Amino acid sequence: MAVQYLRVVNRDQCIGCFSCMFACSRMVRNAGGSGKAALRVKGYAGVEGAFSIRVCARCEDPDCAKACPAGALTAAPNGGVRLKKDLCISCGACVKACAISALQWDEEERQPIPCIFCGQCLKYCPNDVLAMTEKAEGGDRR
Amino acid sequence: MTGRTLHVDLASGTGRLLDDGPVFSEWLGGSAAATELLFRHGDPKGDPLAPESPVIFTIGPFSALYPVATKTAALFKSPLSGELGESHAGGRLAMSLREAGIDALVITGRADRPSYLAIENDTVAVKSASTFWGQSATATDRILREAESKTGRKISVVRIGPAGERLSPMACATVDGSRHFGRLGLGAVLGSKNLKAVVVSGTKTLPLAKPKEFKEVYDILYDRVVRSKEMKKYHDLGTAANVRPLSMIRGLPTRNFSQGNFEGAGAISGERFAEKFLVQHTACAHCQCGCIHLAELREEFAPYHYSTNRVSYDYELIYAMGSMLSLSSPEDIMKLLLVTEKQGWDVISLGCTLAWATESFLRGNLSLEETGGLSLSFGDGAAYLEVLERTAKGQGAFYRDLEKGCAFCAGKYGGEEWAVQYGGAEPGGYMTGENFAVTCMMGVRHSHLDDTGYSIDQKLLNAGQPLEDQVRAQVKEAQWRMVLNSLMICLFARGVYDEEVILRGLDALGLEWDAEKLQAMSEKALLRKYEWKSLCGFDHRSVKIPEKMYSVQTATGLIGRESLEERLRLYRKFAGL
Repeated sequence: MAVQYLRVVNRDQCIGCFSCMFACSRMVRNAGGSGKAALRVKGYAGVEGAFSIRVCARCEDPDCAKACPAGALTAAPNGGVRLKKDLCISCGACVKACAISALQWDEEERQPIPCIFCGQCLKYCPNDVLAMTEKAEGGDRR
Repeated sequence: MTGRTLHVDLASGTGRLLDDGPVFSEWLGGSAAATELLFRHGDPKGDPLAPESPVIFTIGPFSALYPVATKTAALFKSPLSGELGESHAGGRLAMSLREAGIDALVITGRADRPSYLAIENDTVAVKSASTFWGQSATATDRILREAESKTGRKISVVRIGPAGERLSPMACATVDGSRHFGRLGLGAVLGSKNLKAVVVSGTKTLPLAKPKEFKEVYDILYDRVVRSKEMKKYHDLGTAANVRPLSMIRGLPTRNFSQGNFEGAGAISGERFAEKFLVQHTACAHCQCGCIHLAELREEFAPYHYSTNRVSYDYELIYAMGSMLSLSSPEDIMKLLLVTEKQGWDVISLGCTLAWATESFLRGNLSLEETGGLSLSFGDGAAYLEVLERTAKGQGAFYRDLEKGCAFCAGKYGGEEWAVQYGGAEPGGYMTGENFAVTCMMGVRHSHLDDTGYSIDQKLLNAGQPLEDQVRAQVKEAQWRMVLNSLMICLFARGVYDEEVILRGLDALGLEWDAEKLQAMSEKALLRKYEWKSLCGFDHRSVKIPEKMYSVQTATGLIGRESLEERLRLYRKFAGL
């Protein structure tokens, strides 16, 4: 199967319900609430109804992994990153290194939350904002 | 739910965590649990604006877990009605409280200077709001979102506008993007505490008792929310879809409840707003429906120079600022809504009071001297805008009185017969008949949301129903809503959440409830609210409807004195009062 990329395809249709974040926490991490989501819907202060969705770009040479001083976060063979939890020193350098703020931080475990590209988030999007695509190009990365 | 209550005392600037687990086990959560906390912390005989008067926020067991369990309840003693103050709001507050691990937030005391409360998980800070005291509700949101921003995290901002600072008993508290604890004057209670805002954020997740069952129930609910016709209507046109149909059956209150059909209904219909002004839908956190409708108001403030503002609208807003004032221009309505949103007034109370003032002026009951030379007339949008500006500035006694509601104004200036209020609270936008009148009189919040009176009235247009059955259905609904409002499910999802799925949902969370226990709780919760109301001095036997309402045509004809009496008698009987 070709490598799957998670992409924001209809940003303008986002209603800011955070259903994708709840889905990621619930389905991937077995946690109630939104705190363990590997993606983020961001609102802008004072701009009602403007949302920006940050999802992992599945970089081949990820900045986040390069920033990890502990060897915990490493580049995966098909792009994106993997986390070796026991090596993580909770420094947060990875999250800071992601220019598009796509890599999320688990505040309870104090570790990053790498996206596994399973597509649960888009299954629970009521407005087709997200999609899985087969190539890295295209889509709206905002 | 664990029943963790955070009790904040603003005088000392400290918070402490209490275990109210037993309250939540017995009363489910939300509205019913908050009533118990009100008994515990509040004095029904006290002054609503006294420092010790508590404000109680609660969420329910489904908050941040199941779809559309988006509401937070606020209970307090109302400065508008002098009895039970209860208002519910969406936005992100329920989610933020849940993720902060707080099931109830009780605020008492008065800060010694303008302040805001910042809650982050278990950390409580009372911070200075001196620099933005006096700012609009919308500006306050912008300021605090920046000041309290947390990387990668949602925050919820509850704040008052200048109306709350002036202690207007119709001041609301605004939550996040134009959601409101609208009714019964929470804004004044917060203002009296010198509390400009409450900001909440949390980082906790919730362990799942039975993950497999939980996900199954979630999927049933998700499917219903996203695919059912019942919820789709709230997303598409929203409640504004009701403007035209209600006018067609003479149920849209027009010019201070003089008639139920508005000749301008087509011009201010949900369809018209959507086609011309709707720019986006947004949602409360964890609601896949997204019923928030944002319209864009573009105004030319100088030649070829434009300002653009977004205003949220729905049915009640169009009724209160549209048909009630005989305004058939959406732009006029939006201009009034924008000022209302900034000032932080409850739009229903405000619209009804403006309508009372207009009728009073037209009848010669108010003089030009009292209005400061301003002529009030139905349909004059510019004049209403001027009224709001003068009220915001407190320009003259009459304008300072206006924001105290139509019961207060009628008490001072006369015109009680046409002051449309029930127990001090102005009604929602329905002129459907006797069932709705009973809702306004007997509903624990005097709100159209207390039971389904307006809907029973409308069904009568298609098929008759014995009076006794109508009242029985109404009381049953009022009791059932104790369940929904304790789970803090948005009432727009009432068709999604039936008893079976609720019980499965509770079971998946490891909470032991059955149908009998739910019913017993709902009946008891309703009575408990009446008990608190009566301790405040409210007598459900003496609540009146405005005299005018006996002489106007509703959707189901004239309201009869005798049949109304009979309905009230039955209501008390069925509710066990």
